[in-house]
Amino acid sequence: MNEKLMYLGKSWRDEGLKLLQSEIDPQKMHNVTTSMVDIYEHGPEGKEFFLFLKCEDGKVVAFETGEVPAPEAEFIIRGPYSVFASITRGELSSTRALMTGKLRLKGNMAKAVRLAPLADRVNKVLSMIPTDYREV
Amino acid sequence: MAGRLNQSSPYYIDNRKRVADLQKAMEREGLDAYVGTRPRTLSFLLDAFIPWRSYVVIPRTGEPILHTFIVDATRVGDETWLSTDNVRAYAPMGGQDPISLITACLTEELGISRGRLGVEDGIATYTAEGNLSHYEYTQLEAALPGWTLVNAHHLVDELSIIKDAGTVARFREASRIVDVGQRAVFEALSNGGWKHLTETVVGGIAALAMRKEGSVSEWNFAGLNEISSGYRTALGACTPPTTKKLAQGEPLMVDLHSMFHLALGDHSHNYLIGPATKRQRRHADNFVDLVQTVLDHYKEGATPSSLAQVMMDRAESLDCSDFLLPGCEHGIGLFGDEWRIGHAMDGPFPYWTNPDHVYQEGEMVICAMQYASLEEGIGFRYENPILIGKRGCEPLSKYPLLIEEIL
Repeated sequence: MNEKLMYLGKSWRDEGLKLLQSEIDPQKMHNVTTSMVDIYEHGPEGKEFFLFLKCEDGKVVAFETGEVPAPEAEFIIRGPYSVFASITRGELSSTRALMTGKLRLKGNMAKAVRLAPLADRVNKVLSMIPTDYREV
Repeated sequence: MAGRLNQSSPYYIDNRKRVADLQKAMEREGLDAYVGTRPRTLSFLLDAFIPWRSYVVIPRTGEPILHTFIVDATRVGDETWLSTDNVRAYAPMGGQDPISLITACLTEELGISRGRLGVEDGIATYTAEGNLSHYEYTQLEAALPGWTLVNAHHLVDELSIIKDAGTVARFREASRIVDVGQRAVFEALSNGGWKHLTETVVGGIAALAMRKEGSVSEWNFAGLNEISSGYRTALGACTPPTTKKLAQGEPLMVDLHSMFHLALGDHSHNYLIGPATKRQRRHADNFVDLVQTVLDHYKEGATPSSLAQVMMDRAESLDCSDFLLPGCEHGIGLFGDEWRIGHAMDGPFPYWTNPDHVYQEGEMVICAMQYASLEEGIGFRYENPILIGKRGCEPLSKYPLLIEEIL
């Protein structure tokens, strides 16, 4: 696929779900059941967007994007659109973004810390999508 | 799940009742929530060893929520009775610092936008008391507009002063373990064994014996097992061990500490490495007499000042009052509760023991007496957790009260 898909758009989401379901081994996700939503602040046209991911027994069962309001999730990560875009491009790790205060996490950190490598695996898969990151 | 006990255990403590009692007290004082930070509060309510800076949020109803340092959150979650979801970790990450978490817990999770928040403030001789710091106080105040922070540690202190059956059983076991440590030291010293020992090694011998019996910590923050010999026995009431070798003709002080389900064993026993001089023997006999005299007077209705008077009167009659440090006890409770006697702030010096505090049945203190002649290089210490009763007290360490001459 050479065509670049618009970041967080419908086609990008569909491609993301397909890749997540095919590329991620539930065992490597420790058969985890959890959900997470990223809230993208200060997005294009000043809007807020979300990226929602739900895993059941390590398998990605839901992957949604769109404008807020977002579905409820066990973990909520909030931060600027540009920071999330850097993470999806693989330029910045989500852990470093949290440690430097660029992102803010809500949810039980004791559990979240064990999920950090899993989040990195998800981001690695999403970075495979040829993406048009809209300027903000 | 390592530390939780079922109701049939003699060491069982009804932790949910403790929380419910605190919540009733909060309601009486018009508090909407309470944030506990002191180790004594964490031990008392959560029944787990929580050494790192932690914040337990107690709502008016429902289960407390603990925020503890990320490095230790999983272990604490394994050991406390709280549900795993209510043991949260804080970390230096966006939205995960303690102030953000406490604020979100109160305003979003519990849904209380304004109210009165009980916090723990004050002063203690005990460094690790864990009161809310000025920084934390000002940060919380700024993050919680509409809330009033109220110093409310007295609620926990009041609830924890009379020891329940499970707590007393734990203290008895911690004291039994200390007695095993004392016997191990005695055996190591006997038959000339002392000639090969240093203070630090004596502390280690005791520690190994107590660990074998189930002690999880020589909990004392002033040097774990406090061992001193020679002139060091006369240096006061804090004697972390050194590499000094035990020597003939010198006194030896063996102050051991064990911990069993957060209950604190603490017993100090004394020796004379023989041959002892008549003067040393006289000091030793005086001290044993004084300790027994004081123990005989602990009971419901006694006060710290009445006991100090008994002690000083007897010392005068024995002509040894110059060698006695004033005071004969310090407070004790589960881990972190180690200093103040009583709970009320009604003494002449806030946060210090009220000399007129009236002991009640079911209170515990460490009977702690220190005798020292710095000029002669000799001193003794007695420490023993005692349970106050209606007509007397029960010393929990059963190790014989005497000062043996070791050859």
